[in-house]
Amino acid sequence: MNPDMMMGQSGPDLSLMQTAIYGGAIMFGAIVIATVMACFTLPIFFGAMTLLSLGLRVLQNAPDPVGKSSKIGGLVFRSLRRNLLRTALTYVALFVLTWMLTGIYGMVKFLGDFTAEKEDSQLVIMSEKFSIPSQMPPGYANQLRGVIETLPPSNRPRPLSDEERVKKGVAPSPAGPIAAQELRELFGDDLPTDPANPKRRRFEQLAAEGVKENLMTWSFVGASLDPTKFTQENNLFLFALDPDAVTSGMMSEQGLNKEDLGEEGWTEMLRVINLVKEDKRNIVIGEDRLKIINKKVGDEVKFYSTNYKDITFECKIVGAFPAGSRLAGGAVMRYDYLLAKLDDYQKTEGAAHPQADRCLNLAWVRMPNKTSYQALAAKVNEPGKFNAPAAKMETFSAVVGSFLEPYKDIFWGMKFIIMPAIVCIMCLVIGITITIGVRERWTEMAVMKVLGFQPWQIMGMIVSEAMLIGVFGGMLSTWFLYFTPLLIRKGTKAVGLKFAFFDNFTMPWEIVIYGPILGIAVGLIGSALPSWNARKVKVSEVFAQVA
Amino acid sequence: MAIVEVRDLYKSFSRGAERIDVLMDLNLDVQEEEFVALMGPSGSGKTTLLNLIAGLDGPTAGTITIGDQEISSLSESELARWRTRNVGFVFQFYNLLPVLTAYENVELPLLLLPMSKAERRRQVTNALEIVNLADRMSHRPGQLSGGQCQRVGIARAIVTDPTIIVADEPTGALDSKSAEAALDLLNLLRSELGKTIMMVTHDPAAARSAQRIVHLEKGRLVGADTLNTLRPAHAE
Repeated sequence: MNPDMMMGQSGPDLSLMQTAIYGGAIMFGAIVIATVMACFTLPIFFGAMTLLSLGLRVLQNAPDPVGKSSKIGGLVFRSLRRNLLRTALTYVALFVLTWMLTGIYGMVKFLGDFTAEKEDSQLVIMSEKFSIPSQMPPGYANQLRGVIETLPPSNRPRPLSDEERVKKGVAPSPAGPIAAQELRELFGDDLPTDPANPKRRRFEQLAAEGVKENLMTWSFVGASLDPTKFTQENNLFLFALDPDAVTSGMMSEQGLNKEDLGEEGWTEMLRVINLVKEDKRNIVIGEDRLKIINKKVGDEVKFYSTNYKDITFECKIVGAFPAGSRLAGGAVMRYDYLLAKLDDYQKTEGAAHPQADRCLNLAWVRMPNKTSYQALAAKVNEPGKFNAPAAKMETFSAVVGSFLEPYKDIFWGMKFIIMPAIVCIMCLVIGITITIGVRERWTEMAVMKVLGFQPWQIMGMIVSEAMLIGVFGGMLSTWFLYFTPLLIRKGTKAVGLKFAFFDNFTMPWEIVIYGPILGIAVGLIGSALPSWNARKVKVSEVFAQVA
Repeated sequence: MAIVEVRDLYKSFSRGAERIDVLMDLNLDVQEEEFVALMGPSGSGKTTLLNLIAGLDGPTAGTITIGDQEISSLSESELARWRTRNVGFVFQFYNLLPVLTAYENVELPLLLLPMSKAERRRQVTNALEIVNLADRMSHRPGQLSGGQCQRVGIARAIVTDPTIIVADEPTGALDSKSAEAALDLLNLLRSELGKTIMMVTHDPAAARSAQRIVHLEKGRLVGADTLNTLRPAHAE
């Protein structure tokens, strides 16, 4: 999630026409990609069909009833091979439609998960209540720390346990070894209140670490390398923050974590952040942005802030965020460097910088659960606190929910109109194909009946044909849709596919199962009518017509 | 001994409010190992009668008994099962499944019977040998001539060793030479294998291959000729 979306309460003000154009373009692009992918997977489809067919042929040598059933089953594959073009086109259509359907489902679910109220660990955001963009006094950060310290132990943010640190690649805590069990015991309601009690003392030590690890501030600095003009090639957008926020894992959502960067990438990131910690003028810029501004790691740069008028930063680029990552187009600098520059301004100009008291844009706190968030929010909203300007506290999901509010009708339409419509079209596609196939083989159906095939056997063969195309279309489509982003993510070693303002967009794993089930279902529904007609074929009428 | 007994048979179809009587008060016996040809003008009901005897359709009234089985009261599923064992059907246009080889086409009805693979192979090979197509087993219908296709059709009809073979215009789509071969084959089935055969035909020459010709007109039997009483008019 990009913090810049939290500057405001709602999404960009797109007109209906713009939204429709963007939506249409995205839809068209998705269809083109899906069609290409479908064509790309055609050999896999026919290969799998051939393998299954060969498998059945091998089974034909098995003792009955397996051998006999395999022979009858083989008829299904042979029927599908009669008109390869039609079978291929039906497969492609089902692939594309499943792709669209699953894509929409994945997106809606992804957003739903983001906006769902969670009971466990909550990322909560403090921002200015009535103004967009949010601009708060820097003192609010300390004030917020003070408020957190007044919360009961069970509601206080906890530091990572040693086990979690190893897993996330976070350095050991200065508070010494921390066992998960110890955290559970200390951050409970039955902690002694006596400050001299060793348990209480240990709790206070860990609680202080907990605040450090779970609270971070964001300040946004726009800048240009040229004092006279601001162009695409010379501008820079920097997040001014405490570098410890990276090493403590608070910026995991921005892709700065061990899992996304890999062991090597994460070690390199920690090295770079340590360089930033060494000198407040050291900065890290995303690789994409470095290319645009034509700079490289090691360069010294001077840039002129656009939102902090008359403030100039002299920095050294000590590292780069990987290309394709969330921060690849941005940069990170130290918050205390921004504060120092604002102090310098006051010293030289004799008056505080106009932005000096408005340089804190956001504060993030990771609270252990919903109750603790509610307790903190209640404190923040108490009269007399955070009132100049008024600040509000929201969960991450609520912020995303507010941002997406203008689009809720579109999402509703996608979920309840477009998705069912796609399923209907899938049934129709498969229904038409099977109907044509049945009509072409009308006489053959009658012959099979004459030979003694039961109506349900004929019906079963038709339904199997439909289900076979359906299951392959659904399965290959969803499997490609699920595994391709994972592979891209692995291949690029970046934070993953970006989706609007969100990081790490991955399709929900359940589509891998839903795809084949959907294929079976549309195969069943789509072939219901033609197979029923085939079942009811009147032999005497068919041959009367033939004669 | 009559293997086919048709008693007081009525068959009518409804077209909207209109009722069309196709067969009326029809009685017919066909003896075991008899080769009967059904003749009559178009619309006389001969194919309908053949379909009823083959269990492809049910009568409006009356009974049909094939062997010991009274088939007019059987359900659709029971009829399907009965047909597999008891009826071999030879079609005018062969109606072989184009995606299957000659062997597989002949084997198809056997897949519905409780029969081992070895038995199936033996019977299919035997049937194809009878029709003199043992060397064309792996050919698809598209790779066979019309006459060969019809012989595969006949092999398919006899492979289950049915009680009765019904043939609807079996020579209708064949040239005279192939037609003659097909009729010889049907006669061979009767004489050598003891099969009972009922054949619908428009062709008097084809009908003369039968032992008896049954004439139908407007849904009624109007007469019958035996081989010895065939009138010259029928030979025209």
